[in-house]
Amino acid sequence: MTVHAPVEDPTATGGAPAIRAEGLVKTFGPIRAVDGVSFDLAPGRIYGLLGPNGSGKTTLIRLLTGMARPTAGHAEVLETRMPSREVLARIGYMTQAGGIYPTLTVGENARFFAAAYGVRGNEGVDDALRLVDLADRTDTIAGTLSGGQLRRLSLACALVHQPPVIFLDEPTVGIDPLLRAEFWSHFRDLAGSGATIIVSSHVMDEADRCDELLFIRTGKVIARGSGAEVRAQAGTGNLEEAFLRLGADVEATR
Amino acid sequence: MSGRRLLAFFRRVTQEIRRDHRSVALLLVVPIVMTGLIAFIVREGDSPAVDALIVNDAGVPGVAVAGALDQELAESGGSATIVADEAAARTAIEDGSATIAIFLPAGLGTGQQVTVTVLTNGLDPFAEASQAAAVQRAMISAVEGALGISLPTVEHTTLYGVPSDDPLAPFAPAALAFLAYFFVYILTGISFLRERTGGTLERLMATPITRGEVVLGYTLGFGFFATIQVGLLLLWSLGSVEVPALGPLPSFSVGLGIPIAGNALLAYLVVVLAALGAVSLGIFLSTFARTELQVIQFIPIVIVPQFLLCGVLFPVSSLPEILQPFVWIMPLTYAVDGLRQVLVAGADLATWAIQRDLLVLTGVALFFALIAATTIRREVV
Repeated sequence: MTVHAPVEDPTATGGAPAIRAEGLVKTFGPIRAVDGVSFDLAPGRIYGLLGPNGSGKTTLIRLLTGMARPTAGHAEVLETRMPSREVLARIGYMTQAGGIYPTLTVGENARFFAAAYGVRGNEGVDDALRLVDLADRTDTIAGTLSGGQLRRLSLACALVHQPPVIFLDEPTVGIDPLLRAEFWSHFRDLAGSGATIIVSSHVMDEADRCDELLFIRTGKVIARGSGAEVRAQAGTGNLEEAFLRLGADVEATR
Repeated sequence: MSGRRLLAFFRRVTQEIRRDHRSVALLLVVPIVMTGLIAFIVREGDSPAVDALIVNDAGVPGVAVAGALDQELAESGGSATIVADEAAARTAIEDGSATIAIFLPAGLGTGQQVTVTVLTNGLDPFAEASQAAAVQRAMISAVEGALGISLPTVEHTTLYGVPSDDPLAPFAPAALAFLAYFFVYILTGISFLRERTGGTLERLMATPITRGEVVLGYTLGFGFFATIQVGLLLLWSLGSVEVPALGPLPSFSVGLGIPIAGNALLAYLVVVLAALGAVSLGIFLSTFARTELQVIQFIPIVIVPQFLLCGVLFPVSSLPEILQPFVWIMPLTYAVDGLRQVLVAGADLATWAIQRDLLVLTGVALFFALIAATTIRREVV
């Protein structure tokens, strides 16, 4: 079997990409967590960053948001080279760990992050809480919320400043199917209003909800395209199977 | 630096502390209870009654001294009893039926230079030293009374008045500085550790907030509670309010009423600066901790040496030469010294010692705030 070259971005229309990675490398000692990643991501689409645990998804997101310094290469968001404080105010980042203050109320958490993003007024906060269906729980202490409610609050805190670029690091881990479906409809709404969304996941059945997939393995993008394209590329009707096959190809050529 | 972001940060930190009742208690109630306890022990503690056995080899003068000793010791509830010989005294001390034995040598009262030996079992040096001292005091009076010899007595006065009427006065500066420093350190360290481990710091670093704003926000938030804490503690320690008798309740006073020679506001400034130093130290050290236990594990490394060397337990001048440089790099030393200058010596801002202490405490707080800010970056990148 031959190695499949990553599929070119089919949506490239000549417009400026929302996110650009340019030869990104990040090493931790001998480990190459991100190993030469380059891509352009178009605005208004949902991108799925798929890969097993430890494949470098979170490190890649941290490089793109400017929170980690690349060993080589660089990242651009909204045509600005990262790290940039100005651009951080226009990025939403839902971290894998909750990142919520348990002793504060729902409203206090959201308002605090809004202030951290430099938002004036409560409009964004109210919208974000309404979006995740927590508008009637603003006075509830976050520590007393259920797991799913906490994830929803965490999502809201990443949206309080109505960012045009949103990174969601495994947002649906530990969430029941019903809530997961809700989340995806939120993501779709946000993309519909022009936001670029990068969702990392190791759950393949979420992949088909993305406009485009980036398969990550040992720090490299091993395939890119819509769900159908990736299936075709791997010669299988099953994404999980496709991922395994493409991964095996990479292993074989090492 | 954004004022709005700082204000939001300050509000958040204070909300968090306020909601955590244990933290509020640790900051505001515990220091008051502890200083109250120290005051009670130091002021109300009795020197224990000394029941001494006497081995008399001095004949008749010895019997007279023993009788006088018995009278002297009886004043504090003790006694002096003559026993047959040294072996009997040793057996009694060994089996615990007596704690101290006094050997009156032959030649006592004849004008010869003699040495009176005191024997204890040596298990509790501090208590036994105070017993031996009590015996010595009683011995002087007893010898005077029994043998008609008059010895000079020594009376100690100090340059800064005689506040030592209150046995608590020497302890107060150390207790105040230490309690404020210690509790603020623990709370800040653990609180900031939660910020790191709870993922909120990571999240904050993904906002335009700067590291300087984070450290300053924390310093403002915890500094706010530290100023309340120190204010309460000083009011409680230095002030005293008489509550009049009400019905069946007798009158009593609230507050320790430790005498103060200098300006209470200056004392306040010294302790608040020390506490702010503890805030930045807590943030800085939390970098090197992964769990709350590890923040606690820093206490023997950073808090206990300061406690040992700051002049509370041992006078700084009595510490070995080799430790002196360490004494003078520890912020608590300057806090205790500053408080002592203000409370006891009545020093004001024109005094060089106070200027030095305030400068060092400010410098330490700023220094740790700066390196704390740099470690936040190292953690996140």
